[in-house]
Amino acid sequence: MKKNKSMIVCFLLPCVLAILIVYLYPVLRTLLMSFFKIESVTSDISNWSFYGLGNYKRIFGSATFRTAMWNMFRIWLVGGIITLSIALLFAVILTSGIRFKKFFRAAIYLPNVISAVALATMWVQYVYNNDYGMLNKMLRSVGLEGVKWLGTDTKFWAMLAAFIFGAVGYYMLIFISGIERIPQDLYEAAIIDGAGIVQRFTRITMPLLKGIMKTNITFWTINSATFYLWSKMFSPVDTESSTIVPVVYLYELIFGGKSVSERDAGAGAAVGVTLAVIILLAYLVMNRVFKEDDLEF
Amino acid sequence: MSKKEVAKYREKVNWKKELRLLPGYLIVTIWILFGAAFLLWILAASLSTSREIFSGTVFQFQSGFHFENYVNAWNAQNVSVYFANSLLYASVSCVGVLLIAGPASYVLSRFEFFANKVVKSSLIVAMGIPAIMIIMPIYSMTVRWGIKGRALLIFLYICMHVPNTTIYLLNFFATLSRTYEEAAAIDGCSPAKTFWVIMLPLIQPALITITIFNFLGVWNEFFMALIFASSEKMMSVGVGLLQIVNAMKYTGNYGGLFAAVVIVFMPTFILYLFLSEKIIAGVTGGGIKG
Amino acid sequence: MKRKMVSLLLAAAMVTGLLAGCSSSSASSTSSSETSESTEETADTTEAAEETSDLADYSGVTLTYWSMWTSTEPQAEVIQQAADAFSEQTGATINIEWKGRDISSVILSALESGEDIDLFEDSDSRISQNYADYCYDLTEMAEAADYASYSYACFTETITDWAGFLACIVEQPQVGGVWYNKDIFEACGIDVPTTWEEFMDACQTMVDNGYQPLALDSAYASFNFGYHLDRYLGEDAVSELSLNGGWSDSAGAIQAAQDIIDFVNAGYLADGAPDEYPSSQNKIGLTGQVAMVVCANYVTSEVDNNSGVDTNWGMFNYPSIDGGVDPSNAYAGANCIAISSYSENAQAAFDFIMFLTTGEYDQLMADTAEQIPADPNNTAPDKLSGTVEALLDTSDPLKWNMGLTDNSDLSTGIKENVVKLFEGQYATGEEFAAAMDALY
Repeated sequence: MKKNKSMIVCFLLPCVLAILIVYLYPVLRTLLMSFFKIESVTSDISNWSFYGLGNYKRIFGSATFRTAMWNMFRIWLVGGIITLSIALLFAVILTSGIRFKKFFRAAIYLPNVISAVALATMWVQYVYNNDYGMLNKMLRSVGLEGVKWLGTDTKFWAMLAAFIFGAVGYYMLIFISGIERIPQDLYEAAIIDGAGIVQRFTRITMPLLKGIMKTNITFWTINSATFYLWSKMFSPVDTESSTIVPVVYLYELIFGGKSVSERDAGAGAAVGVTLAVIILLAYLVMNRVFKEDDLEF
Repeated sequence: MSKKEVAKYREKVNWKKELRLLPGYLIVTIWILFGAAFLLWILAASLSTSREIFSGTVFQFQSGFHFENYVNAWNAQNVSVYFANSLLYASVSCVGVLLIAGPASYVLSRFEFFANKVVKSSLIVAMGIPAIMIIMPIYSMTVRWGIKGRALLIFLYICMHVPNTTIYLLNFFATLSRTYEEAAAIDGCSPAKTFWVIMLPLIQPALITITIFNFLGVWNEFFMALIFASSEKMMSVGVGLLQIVNAMKYTGNYGGLFAAVVIVFMPTFILYLFLSEKIIAGVTGGGIKG
Repeated sequence: MKRKMVSLLLAAAMVTGLLAGCSSSSASSTSSSETSESTEETADTTEAAEETSDLADYSGVTLTYWSMWTSTEPQAEVIQQAADAFSEQTGATINIEWKGRDISSVILSALESGEDIDLFEDSDSRISQNYADYCYDLTEMAEAADYASYSYACFTETITDWAGFLACIVEQPQVGGVWYNKDIFEACGIDVPTTWEEFMDACQTMVDNGYQPLALDSAYASFNFGYHLDRYLGEDAVSELSLNGGWSDSAGAIQAAQDIIDFVNAGYLADGAPDEYPSSQNKIGLTGQVAMVVCANYVTSEVDNNSGVDTNWGMFNYPSIDGGVDPSNAYAGANCIAISSYSENAQAAFDFIMFLTTGEYDQLMADTAEQIPADPNNTAPDKLSGTVEALLDTSDPLKWNMGLTDNSDLSTGIKENVVKLFEGQYATGEEFAAAMDALY
């Protein structure tokens, strides 16, 4: 048995070290940093001075951060409802017995395997372009006026739509895997009882997808809280209030940027902690709303 | 789709049923056509000049096909360098992750010991921690100790993927019968050797699935690469492409920009054409278990 | 046994790494061979420099250079050539790391941690305001090298003002103003306008002749409006407004906004402006129908490159306003090179900077990258003619955005309001001022 013990230690040690070095220590230190006044992220612990909740007061007092949080909230709520609805619709369509299911599934998921930088470049440089862009060409071909998709009023929604287009496939896959686990005879029994397609969806599919819904909402929350790349791609020159999100603000607080006057690693840590708390809260709320009383099937 | 399946479909054309499904066909087809249209445009733009792109005459190819955009992007725009870097990061990380997560997962699923539960639950918690919570201390630590370069990024990628891989593999080891180990022990094989030679190969399908999932994750990762690989010769494709996009503002070679986009996009696309089933299995499995 | 397996696998992983490393290094060597080809083309230049050079012997010295360019940009090509020539003549080795514009987010922490950097590049304002603590004081070396006769006074003064000492050397000067297509002005028979009234009249003439007067991308909206505000109030007052608000109480600010509203309503903006960068400015070259843009000099080469058309560029100072505080100041800024305060080879680094930013290589840089020479004794490319003189005459240059975005916390909101102003979303100057005050 002693042999086993040494093997357990050897096999487990790298994994435990990885957790300690890359998760436990950094998380604790970030948490600590958020309560101290620190200018540079690289400054030694001896140069920190205790600041209480000052960092949190500072970020929540900042107009830029509030705009960023508001944008994040809109991404989460509006984007979440649209993405999950479309994903669910596609999942239901693809499991309704249509042909070429595998092809459709693969094609819809495709944007997820492409580098998001490439994807966003395509949207910004082509789809939304004012003069030769795809959308305006479509509008003009039916005799409508072109729209300035990247103007101040529409830029946020343009960004969100592009993001949703790419994200739908992922959530669809998860829904599909959930729907496929629902036994077919439930539907057959319902058809015999005369239930229509809508009834079958609301009475059978929806309730049985509760657990999957929870997973998807949790993932979506993490996705919205860590939203970064699309914002950067849609405002490449400057930070703009229509597209700024908390992670962009955090990046500028740590490394300096145009929307912050001076670097402030403490405040940056406070932003990070705030986002982590939001994710944690979402997780707890989800667990409560979708209690583990799922029907066994 | 195999021939058999096609034949099966052909036999069963039930027009009434197909008609009922028509709205469904329409919706997904429109969605896909939209995506296809813009991919085609990108392809056409990558073969055009900046002037043609900006005057909206991309599909006419008035000045012929500009294949030199690709040569230019590959050599002069450094796409080859970014490409090699991403390949290196993704492949080494994937191997590294398996070397750490495989044994750990095996031990956690096979042996009862006091720390077992603790490790398992901390792995699950770690899966939910966003990168922004850990980046600051790691950045400060590495800058002050002068650790940098490709090895650092690979190390971080490995550690970032250890929790989900370990948790994912747990279930697969649990399904393996204990008779394998017993037989190996009778033959005088040490437990460690049993693991590497017998147990690990047995879960090969799961290893492939999770590796594809990890590979795509590393290949498309952006935030950490941006912070930890800031020098041009270490950049990954994502960050490198952003550099090209930014530099394009000053040099105006948009044909080359789209050629770079296509080059970055192609390998994952081709990989996807052949492996879409595996990848999709990897996502649903690697993503939601745990 | 187990150890053996692990080490075997590790070795396998390392081999994969080495292979991939090989492929990347071979790729970069192709690109450097390309550069060396172009070095041959300019071989005469190098020889000429050699004859006159009185450079010291720096054999064994290694300089690390963090550059703000990416290796594919023309600036980078010239720097690489200069570095190769410098190495050949002095024996010093120069390692250049191409960081791109994102250098501004990594350079400060790198300097703080004492990373091995001798030379680095960024804008004049960031170097002398944010990184000054880590910059080598170049005053003495500059005096010894008679830098004053190879530079523009306006930059050295501003840098010294900000940092308290000469913190960096100008590499790429920029000057702002109204850049225009001379052919359109000629076709319409317009003289260069100097006042806002003349400017408005000129715009009307252009519209009457079927041209579109002004291109504008939202990225430069604050720059454009900042100029206009500065003409009314002066830079300091604009900065004060930006920091503390009170827009509704400032008659000048309200009038400035009203001017822009009238300008937009008169239809003087190009179709689609304010557009997403660089769509609008590209139209100057693409359609040949758009006449002007308010920007810094680099707009000329950007537009020429994107459109594939050689526009006949000219430049005039932003028009003055009757009774305004500042009738004539122009924006001037520069990208600069600095030496780290802890560099052990400061003199060698300084010699290299001078080698690059004066004389032959500066001329080569100006021609290749189509920019204003850093050394006023050199000549600017044709399309930028007059810029060297303009810079030499400038005494008190304006900052980027003229203080309009000095309030960093509100800058994103300010910028959005300014773009809305150009989009015609406000009916009156008062309405704009009220929207600005609502931010505070």
